[in-house]
Parts: sequence; structure tokens; C-alpha cells
Amino acid sequence: MGNMVSVINTVDTSHEDMIHDAQMDYYGTRLATCSSDRSVKIFDVRNGGQILIADLRGHEGPVWQVAWAHPMYGNILASCSYDRKVIIWKEENGTWEKTHEHSGHDSSVNSVCWAPHDYGLILACGSSDGAISLLTYTGEGQWEVKKINNAHAIGCNAVSWAPAVVPGSLIDQPSGQKPSYIKKFASGGCDNLIRLWKEEEDGQWKEEQKLEAHSDWVRDVAWAPSIGLPTSTIASCSQDGRVFIWTCDDASGNTWSPKLLHKFSDVVWHVSWSITANILAVSGGDNKVTLWKESVDGQWVCISDVNKGQGSVSASVAEGQQNEQ
Amino acid sequence: MKLKEVDRTAMQAWSPAQNHPIYLATGTSAQQLDATFSTNASLEIFELDLSDPSLDMKSCATFSSSHRYHKLIWGPYKTDSKGEVSGVLIAGGENGNIILYDPSKIIAGDKEVVIAQNEKHTGPVRALDVNIFQTNLVASGANESEIYIWDLNNFATPMTPGAKTQPPEDISCIAWNRQVQHILASASPSGRATVWDLRKNEPIIKVSDHSNRMHCSGLAWHPDIATQMVLASEDDRLPVVQMWDLRFASSPLRVLENHARGILAIAWSMADPELLLSCGKDAKILCSNPNTGEVLYELPTNTQWCFDIQWCPRNPAVLSAASFDGRISVYSIMGGSADGLRQKQVDKLSSSFGNLDPFGTGQPLPPLQIPQQATPRSPGLPLKKPPKWIRRPVGASFSFGGKLVTFENIRIQPLQGAEQQQQYHVFVSQVVTEKEFLRRSDQLQQVVQSQGFISYCQKKIDASQTEFEKNVWSFLKVNFEDNSRGKYLELLGYRKEDLGKKHIKEEKQESEFLPPAAGTFNISISGDIDGLITQALLTGNFESAVDLCLHDNRMADAIILAIAGGQELLAQTQKKYFAKSQSKITRLITAVVMKNWKEIVESCDLKNWREALAAVLTYAKPDEFSALCDLLGTRLESEGDSLLQTQACLCYICAGNVEKLVACWTKAQDGSHPLSLQDLIEKVVILRKAVQLTQAMDANTVGVLLAEKMSQYANLLAAQGSIAAALAFLPDNTNQPNIVQLRERLCRAQGEPMPGHESPKTPYEKQQLPKGRPGPVAGHPQMPRVHTQQYYPQGENPPPPGFLLRENVTPSTAAQQPTPPGHMHTQGLPYPQPQPYQPAQQYSFGAGGSAAYRPQQPVAPPSSAYPNNPYLSPASSYPGQSQLYAAQHQASLPAPSPTASFPPPPSSGASFQHGGPGAPPSSSAYALPPGTTGTLPAGSELPASQRTGPQNGWNDPPALNRVPKKKKMPENFMPPIPITAPIMNLLGDPQSQMLQQQPSAPAPPSSQPSLPQPHLPGGQPFHSIQQPLGPAVPPPFSKPNIEGAPGAPIGNTFQHVQSLPTEKITKKPIPDEHLILKTTFEDLIQRCLSSATDPQTKRKLDDASKRLEVLYDKLREQTLSPTIASGLHNIARSIETRNYSEGLTIHTHIVSTSNFSETSAFMPVLKVVLTQAKKLGV
Repeated sequence: MGNMVSVINTVDTSHEDMIHDAQMDYYGTRLATCSSDRSVKIFDVRNGGQILIADLRGHEGPVWQVAWAHPMYGNILASCSYDRKVIIWKEENGTWEKTHEHSGHDSSVNSVCWAPHDYGLILACGSSDGAISLLTYTGEGQWEVKKINNAHAIGCNAVSWAPAVVPGSLIDQPSGQKPSYIKKFASGGCDNLIRLWKEEEDGQWKEEQKLEAHSDWVRDVAWAPSIGLPTSTIASCSQDGRVFIWTCDDASGNTWSPKLLHKFSDVVWHVSWSITANILAVSGGDNKVTLWKESVDGQWVCISDVNKGQGSVSASVAEGQQNEQ
Repeated sequence: MKLKEVDRTAMQAWSPAQNHPIYLATGTSAQQLDATFSTNASLEIFELDLSDPSLDMKSCATFSSSHRYHKLIWGPYKTDSKGEVSGVLIAGGENGNIILYDPSKIIAGDKEVVIAQNEKHTGPVRALDVNIFQTNLVASGANESEIYIWDLNNFATPMTPGAKTQPPEDISCIAWNRQVQHILASASPSGRATVWDLRKNEPIIKVSDHSNRMHCSGLAWHPDIATQMVLASEDDRLPVVQMWDLRFASSPLRVLENHARGILAIAWSMADPELLLSCGKDAKILCSNPNTGEVLYELPTNTQWCFDIQWCPRNPAVLSAASFDGRISVYSIMGGSADGLRQKQVDKLSSSFGNLDPFGTGQPLPPLQIPQQATPRSPGLPLKKPPKWIRRPVGASFSFGGKLVTFENIRIQPLQGAEQQQQYHVFVSQVVTEKEFLRRSDQLQQVVQSQGFISYCQKKIDASQTEFEKNVWSFLKVNFEDNSRGKYLELLGYRKEDLGKKHIKEEKQESEFLPPAAGTFNISISGDIDGLITQALLTGNFESAVDLCLHDNRMADAIILAIAGGQELLAQTQKKYFAKSQSKITRLITAVVMKNWKEIVESCDLKNWREALAAVLTYAKPDEFSALCDLLGTRLESEGDSLLQTQACLCYICAGNVEKLVACWTKAQDGSHPLSLQDLIEKVVILRKAVQLTQAMDANTVGVLLAEKMSQYANLLAAQGSIAAALAFLPDNTNQPNIVQLRERLCRAQGEPMPGHESPKTPYEKQQLPKGRPGPVAGHPQMPRVHTQQYYPQGENPPPPGFLLRENVTPSTAAQQPTPPGHMHTQGLPYPQPQPYQPAQQYSFGAGGSAAYRPQQPVAPPSSAYPNNPYLSPASSYPGQSQLYAAQHQASLPAPSPTASFPPPPSSGASFQHGGPGAPPSSSAYALPPGTTGTLPAGSELPASQRTGPQNGWNDPPALNRVPKKKKMPENFMPPIPITAPIMNLLGDPQSQMLQQQPSAPAPPSSQPSLPQPHLPGGQPFHSIQQPLGPAVPPPFSKPNIEGAPGAPIGNTFQHVQSLPTEKITKKPIPDEHLILKTTFEDLIQRCLSSATDPQTKRKLDDASKRLEVLYDKLREQTLSPTIASGLHNIARSIETRNYSEGLTIHTHIVSTSNFSETSAFMPVLKVVLTQAKKLGV
């Protein structure tokens, strides 16, 4: 298998407490991190370097997640925190500043995710109060808020937007017309469910699907990027140690079938798709990151065990995990 | 936030953590009789269904029990029962009894639910705990210092942990250690706690603060630290929780004094050791951090005391509390609003009062004005400290370029005294998973750089696993070889040499036949048919003579006479002949004579696709060649079986139609795997190179599908970290939005300097740069309408591009906004511009040569409805189409039967190429009647098909094979206006065709008003050739304006329709300093002409002479850039010295360094001249 994963940059964040998220921007040149020390930091990491660009203070609790907006809107970063707030930060004249604060949740905001840029600036936020809010920028510094109450009883842990795919293929689209996107996102929560939400024609969000397979909290959901295939794919991971790959082939988008990627021995916290949607990175509570790929016969195979410190590959561990399955 | 409630005065036990779904068991409490003083008791099981927003808990089963309970626990120990509910319910009763229930049987409704019971204890059993390491072990405590250890496997005989403590006291609490399995603790209201070691079978330590006020109501071990435990006191005078560490057992480590009155119960979260619940007689439920003493959360409760509190083992945020007002409430400590609760209360009220008129007053009650305003959103504030279970400790996220960002927080056990500084690192890793893919991609890149296409193709042929793969690579390879059409024919099984031999024989036969008979002959005017013909001939009545011949089935005579009778008669006669002739190959002959290859391609049996392709390869003019190949490919794709469908790829390769190749290949192959994409891209890249080399332009046209595939490919490369390679493969001369976006992303990912204090440069932003052009700029038509204002009105800087854009452009109008044509930045649409797939563009790859040399002039039709269409050179797409159209209509053939089978092409077809008439004798079945071809005017006077024949046309691919192609398109390259409709619709529809041509007609741009011809290069010749049977006299060979210019994009017909100016416009003189260029070049052409022997070369030269007019016009207009002009002078100087090799080198240099659109019109011509001069040695 060889050296599949090699560390090319180690960033000492100087955070004073646990790091909870680290996200690169659209180009892979800037790194945003957030921590229990209540701060959000931005680093320029080009060419293996690490230059602290911003140390953003404003949250009053641990910051769980950060999310970069598409660069067409400028340099914008959203963060969410245990302090029940979502803060949108923006770079103006080279300085990062808070540009908006959303405090419409009654409990910890656990996840933020920007909608595909095609829709405009829309941020979905999932909270432990069970609600999901959708912030839409309407201009002049104004954000319109829509809220889905009781989206997940006792808490929403993750939100992830479906890629912007026009129903039917791109070729069939009548020229010059506004593509009729259907906005969708997935959420996972403490009700052990993944729920799929769809924006109705009247602009209201309706639950479209309930995906049920996990037997414990759904910790993360990740809708796979579109690679031009008609299949939609979602990865989910849970407190129960299971990672499922959900696929939907039918045009109506309503028949989802789960496939167990693996049952880990510990909680699985995070799943992330590669940009080309062929590799899934799975982060487990045992502090292990594994990479998974679908083989030709449709089985998910662990291709690498990311050992962060050394960046080496341990094939034996990978095999061992498969045997466990 | 309260989640659920059950109206019971009961003890409670959650199902074990393993169990899903979550159940809550309740057993009627022995402590307190409810208001009815009923002595009924029951054991019930409820399901915690959080997806149900109501406050009600779903009751699963009720078992009427004869016992009331002091303690109820649910152990995970697996009895032999089946069912989804696991474990065992263990109840402590009033009379010293311990009862084991099978919860699965309770849920199933069984009557026999008791597994076992034992009444060994004296007095009520208030304390029970399951050993978490050995779940079959249960400890119980009762009065008189009684402690028993029960083995569920052997329930009859309990053990004791050691001798009873003295004096005898009630055991109120008992707990197994969470770290060490043989350690047990017990506590009593007297305030003492005892720790037992079961291995030693004795108490090892006694814990007491000697205050005599600790009345232990609760005992719990630290979930993580083996030596720590907490004790709670229910004494109102000392309502505290004491934290003890057995290593310092003299006094409590910490005392939590958060309750005002005695504490009735505590529960320590197993999920987070910093969360300890306590409830007391002050009616509070508190969540504190026992390690600091801080109160983290106070649950919103009613005013009743709670006597039992439990964490849900499975859902760490959930807890339940049983209160003396007869209710068990389930809470989340994560906060949230309590809308559900209110709703339930309202429901209850209205259901109790019924109809809102409970007293029958006839007046409904006014609407309820309950707490909603009184408690305006008073959600319980969440825990001050986030619970451990929501603190994500690990994460790995992919980012662009195949990078994986990971972080970790390895917990270091804080050691006493030693402050260990933890460093918080983020790692950026490169993930490479597709080594083979990268290797092949690298190989391909090298081939492109080294131009070693032929050997690459050969390697691919050798390595081919399938015949089809081999064919594809063979076809691709041919593109780089001389005489590609001939080679194609060979690949199809038609060797030119063989054909040649046959022709020689044929010619010999003809020469024997042709010499006119000497001597006298008799002119008979008898009454028989001969006589009648003679009479008609004598009177000059060719028509009648031909009719008579036809009538008498003397076809050869008829045709010969018709020739003498003129074009019109010949045409008529041919028609009549074809109508009469029923032979199998008539249709082929018809097609050959009428030059209606479309007929063949359209109606041949698809089993004969090879033959049809061979015919096209043999006969089709360069400009229609690719269209015909395309057409055949399209038919194969849409009509043929799956086997034939893939063969369409070969047709598209012949046509040089990359876009269609992509479409066809994609259909046949699974393109999702990187290697299968690599398979496709290899072919596509090679084909594009071929097209580039042979046609000197248009290879850069990137269709929607190709753009899709190429960006997919580049994305894959990028995802493997090969950003430079991704950039190299990404077509660089296209406005396909996905490619433009990806290019920008790749460039920036590569580490291009950060914009620093400027706003970022993105392709999106480019849209807002109107570059001084008035009018709105087409933006994102998809943009939501809401973004109509500036993003940061207060800022001095321009707002981010996305926002600015939408100030002017609403989604409905954006798409129609005309973009200034040729404006590069406006075309960099970041969105996949929805483009109908336009077959028209396929022709841009066509072999039609003239298009290749047309200057790429931006044409600005204000009426164009598709300003953003990124396709290049629509003009180049017309030749094939107009030819087909013209042919179809002029030939006026009867509608072809689609099912008619098509015979293999006649070998006689080659006669056109070689200028010799005749049919091969060897294949008589397909042979043309010798006279037919032999007497065609085209055969001798007007060797049209010969002159334009694929092998010998001056723009024949091999001849221009090595036109160096500038790799990069200039930044300011301006594509002309697009094709507005799929070409296929137009083939039979002259009207729409004209409409379509209207905007694209290359009207001379105002900057060059004096160029009437170059923009219609050779418009006529093919038109003329196409109508050899028409009324017009065959144009003389030397007539220059109809001579030699191949690839006419637009036929005469349309020129007239459009009333384009065809009259001469006086031209400016060429500036003196450049006059030398003209004289040198013309002189060279003349020299070549005088020493050239074969007509092909002469023709080429004639044509070149004419086509260099474009250059002269540019000189006149002084529009040439100085570098090119000086380069041309260098060439002229090398011509003077007859150093043509040097001239060619300079030529290559100019072409490779100059603006493509500026030189494409004349540089290839110049190369032809130089090459000829070198060859002829003039």
C-alpha cells in the first residue's frame, strides 16, 4: 500500500484547550481551527508554513465547528459554540471581524454548514435544543432566519448540505434559464436519526426522509460531493460505533438504503468525504483516523490508518479492522 | 428541559446502555402511598421515544405486582430469555425480598415474569447495585447491617462481604467500585460508609466525618478514579455532598453545600465524571461538578421533592427524577425550550374541562392565558460546562488537493503537582490513493510534451486487451501519420494499393476500348430504333435521342448523348437512369455520382458501417468529411446494437470529434473509476492533439461533456495532490465555467501569493468587472433574488463580488443580459452554464480546412441570444452542414428508404481520387458501368472530386501535419458568436439554417472594412463542385475565385440570400516597407508554379497565392503586430537566400509565439508555400 498518507505540515495552534475542528478554506491554503479555549484561529499554511492570520475572540464557550463560505462571497467563516451562538466572521481590509451574531438557539450549537454557493449565502446550524436554524443573507448586513423546531429531540449534532444538483442532467437544462435547484440537507441527532430536509416551494423546510439505522446518537452526517453520477450518497457515524453509507439511486430521491461501512469499538465522531467523493475519512473516539474506499464489488475497505504523529500507514491495523467487521 | 413525564409514584430504572431502544421501568414506590391510599402495585415499562414530541411516555407493558419497591435496578446480565429487551430487573421489596424479573417477558405480556426471588433479608431492601465488571453479581443492603452479594447464576445462596458492621444499622446505599471489581461500598443513615474488599472478605476502610449529622442518603463511586467517592446527606442540618478520597480518609476532600435542605438522592454521570446530580428536600435538582463543587445546572422543576434520580445509561443527556407528587419526569440537561410541556398542560386542561364550558354556563371560557407570557422563553440555561460527550476530541476533514486535516487531543492524565503542558496540533497530510492512475497520467503528460504520439499509440495498441481498444488506438495513431484517410481505409480493410492495382487494369481496359474506331460508318435512318435515334441526332434533338436510347435500355448511349446535350440533359438522364436501374448498388452509384454521401451514411445498413465509413473516407470532401463521420457515428450510437454503439467511437475519431467521442465512450464505460477515466482521457488528449496538429485550430474548442470530463480528471489529479499536473491537463483555452473555476482554484491552491490586503481575486469576482463596457454584466442567473443589496454598505471597499452582482441582476433577467462578446472576463461564468448539447460544434473539429485558417474575428451580433456561449468558431461548423444541405436539395433524390441495405463501396470509387475513370473488373457486382464514370465531366475537365479529394486536397491533414500549434491561447482571445441551435435540426430546414447563419455570417468587422473575401474564403468552389449537374457550365479549371479554396464555410446560396457585399472594394496600398513581403512571396509561388509538374501542387500553389491575400490585407490595414511583421520579413529574407529550412524555422517560431487568431489565416498557407519551395528546390 505504501505511504499513502504523509504529513506535510504540522501546525502548532497554540490553543489552550482541546481543538474541536480544523477546516481548510476552498483553496486549501488557509486553516481555521476552533477550541474549547473559546477562540477561533486562522492560519496561512501555504508551502508547509504556518502564519497566524487571526485569533478570533467572541464566543463565550467552547467553539465546536468552523465552516468557510465559498470565496465568491469574500473571506467568510462561520463558527458555532456551546455558548448557543453562531458567529459569522469576515475579512475586511485584511482584518477579520465579527460581522454577524446569531443567538437564536436555546442550547449549544453543535454544527454549522454553508449551503452550496449556488444558492447564495445560507448557513444551516444544528443545536442541542433540537432545532435547526437557517440563516440567509438578504443584503445590507441582514440575515433572515428560518427555524426548524424539534428537528431532533434533545439535540441536533450535525448538518450537511446536499450538493447543488439540478434534477435531470446538466445537459438537459434549458439554456439561459435559472436552474431549478432543490435545496436539501441532512441532519443527525440525539434521536439516533438522520433526517433529510427539503425546501418547499413556499420556502418552508419540510422533512423529506428519516433514515433509521443507528442505535445511538448520530454524531455526524456528510453528504458526498456530486461527481456527476445520479446517485446521492450520505455517510453517517454514531455513538454506537457504526458508520453507514446511505445511497439513493432513484430519481425521486426517496429510497435510501444503508450499508454498514464498519462497526468500530468506540464512538465515531466525524466523517468527511474527499473532494472527489471516493474516500471517506472516519474519526473515532480512540483518536484514530481511518480512510475508507469502496472497492469494485461495492465493499468498503479500509485503505489506510492515519497515524498523525508520524503520518505512516499501518496496513496490519487496517486489515485487523476489516476482520473485525 | 423536560422531555417526558409519567404520573406514577414509583422507583425507576433505565434499561442498560446496550439496550436500544431505551426503556424506563417503574415500580410502585413503597415509601409513599399516593392520595388514594391504594395498595395496588405494578411494575411498568415505558419506551423513551424522543422522536415523539409529546410529553407522554409510551407504555410498553404493565405487570400487576403484589409488591411495592424500595429500590429498582436494571442489570445488563443476560438471562436465557429471548427478545430485544435484555437484562434483568432487580427489585428490592418491603419485606426483605429481592425479586428478579425478566423485562422481555414483561414487555411480551407473559404472566410468568419473575425469574427468581429470595427473602433472605430482614426488613426493606433499600440498596441494590450491579457489579459492572461481573454483571451477574448484585449487592443488596437492608436493615441490621445486612449486606448480601448475589450471584444471579446461583440466586439461592448469597454471600456476604464480611462480618456485619457493628452496631447494626440500616444499609441505605450500596455501590460497586467503578474501577476495581472486588471493591464495594455501603453507607447508612448513621453517616458511616464502609468500603469492603471482597477478596479479603472484610471491610477495609470506614469513612466518617464524625459529625453525626451525615445521614447518608446517597453513595456513588467516582466513574474514573478508583479511590474517590461521594456521600450525600439527607439531614437538613447538613445538606451536603462530601467527596472523599480513600487515600486521605480522615476528612472529605471536598464538601458541596449547594442544597438548602437534606439531599434525598444523587447520581454520578458515567459519561462525564464532572456531572453529579443531586435532589433534595429543597425541591431542587442540581447538577454539580463534584471535582470543583460548582453548580453547573439547576433543572427547572416544580416544587415537589424528588426522592430518586437516575442518569439514563444510554443517552448521557437524559435523566429521570421521581417526585413525591406522584410523577416521574424525564429531562435533558442540554437545555432547550419546554414548549412540549406547556402544550401537554393545555391539553390536559381542555380535556378535563371539556368543550371549554365545564360548568355548563353556556359561555365558553376565554382563551387560556397561561404561562406563555409569564415565562417568556425561560429555557433552562444549559450546563455551564459542556458535557464531555459533546466535546469532539478528534476529527479529520478532507480539503482541496487531496489534503487531510486532522487534529487530536490526547488526554494526559493530569498528575498531581506536575503541570503537563499539552500542545494542540493540527496535521495536514497528503493522501495519495491512486498510484497507477498517477503513473499513467504522468506518462500521458510526458507524451504530450515529447510529442511522441505515434509510439504512444503503438504501445497502447500492443497493450490492448480487446479488439475494440486496439481499433481505437489504431485509429488514433493514424491521425499522426501521413495519408491518414488511406490508413483509415486500411484499418477498415480496404487497402489502397489493392485498389490502385485494380484501377490500372481498369484503365488498360478502357484505353483499349477508347480509341475511336477508324474508317467509315453507315448512318442509318431506318424505322427501327437505331434509325429513329439517328434522325433525332441529325436534327440535333438530343432529348429525343436520349429518350429513345433509354427506352431501348441503351443506357450507355443515352448517357453519352446526354453529355453532348448539355448539363441539364445529362442531369435528367442520370435521374431517369437511376429511376430505371434496379441494381443492388444503384444507390451507391447514385450517391457517388450525386456526391450525396449523406445518403449513404444516413441509410446504409448499419452492419455495413465499415463500408459506409470507407466510402466517406474515400470520397467525402474535407469540409463534409467530419460531418459525415459524425453522422455515421450518431446513427451507430442511436440505432445500432451495443456492439455497434461502441464502434461509433471510431467514427468520431475519424471525425476528430472529441466531444462526441467523450459522450460515446462515457456511455459505454463506467467512468467513475479513476482508471477508466484515465482510459478515456488518454484517448481524448491524443485525439485533441491530433486535431490540433492536423487542423491547426479548433482543437481548443471544449464542449460541455469534454469540459465535464476534463475537469473531473483534473479534479482527480488534484485530489491526489498533483495540482501541477491537473493544471497541465486542464484545457486552457475555454470558457467552460467548470474549467475556469477549477483553473482558478488550482492556481490558488498552488500557492499563488495571497491577495493580502486586497480583496481576493476569484473568477467570480471577474464578473463584476465591466471593463468599461456599459450595460449590466451577465452574472449568476441562479442567484437568489434576495441578494440585492450591498453586503457591507458601511465599508469603504467594494462589496464582495457575489453581492455586488446581484444589485443589478435579478435571476429572471440575468440570463438574457447580453454580454459584450469576446469579453473574456464576462465569459468566465462560475456556474455550469446550462448549455444544450450542441452537435453543431462537432463540426468545428471537422477536416474542413479553410475554417482552420480563418482568422478568428470577433463578431458581434447584437441579436445573439446566447452571448455567453463559450463555443468557439461557429463559422467553422457550417461547411459540412451547408454542403450537406446543398447536396440534399440539389440532388433531388427520391427519399431514401431507411432500410435499404447498402452495398460495400465500389472500388471504382478510387477512380475519382486518381483521376482515372473506370470500374474495377474484379468486383463486378459493384462495378460501375464503365461509361458512366468515364464520361463524367468531372472525370476529365473538372476533376472536382479529385482536386478536393481527401488524399490530395491541399489542406489534406498530412500536408499540414506539422503545423506547429501554439499551446496557449492568448488571454484576449475572443471567440466568435456561438451556434444557436443544434445543427441536426437544420439539415433539412433551409429556413432555420439561414436564420442561424444570419448572425454568424462573418460580416467584415468594422475595423477591416476592405476585406470582402477573406471572410468568405472559397465560398464558391464547393458550391460549384457540388452542382456539377446543375445548369451552370462547369467552371474552368483556372478560375481562381472558385478554385482550390477548400472548406468553404458558406455556400453561394447563402451569400446571395444574405446579400452580402461581393463587389470589389478598393483596397489600400500595402505600405512600402511591407511591399517586399508580397513580392517575395508571390515571386516564390510563381517560381514554384513554373517548376511544379503535378496538378495537385499547382492547385495548392494557386490557392496559396490567393489565400495570402489575407496577409496582404493585414499589411494594408497595418493590423499585424510588429513582431509578426518582422518575423515575416525574416522569412522573406530567407526566401531571398533560398534557405527555405530557415524560413520554416522562423515560421515555426512565429506561430508558436504569436497570437493564434492573428496568424492562423495565413501562416499555414505560408508554410505550404515554403514546404513546396523546399521540395521543388526553386
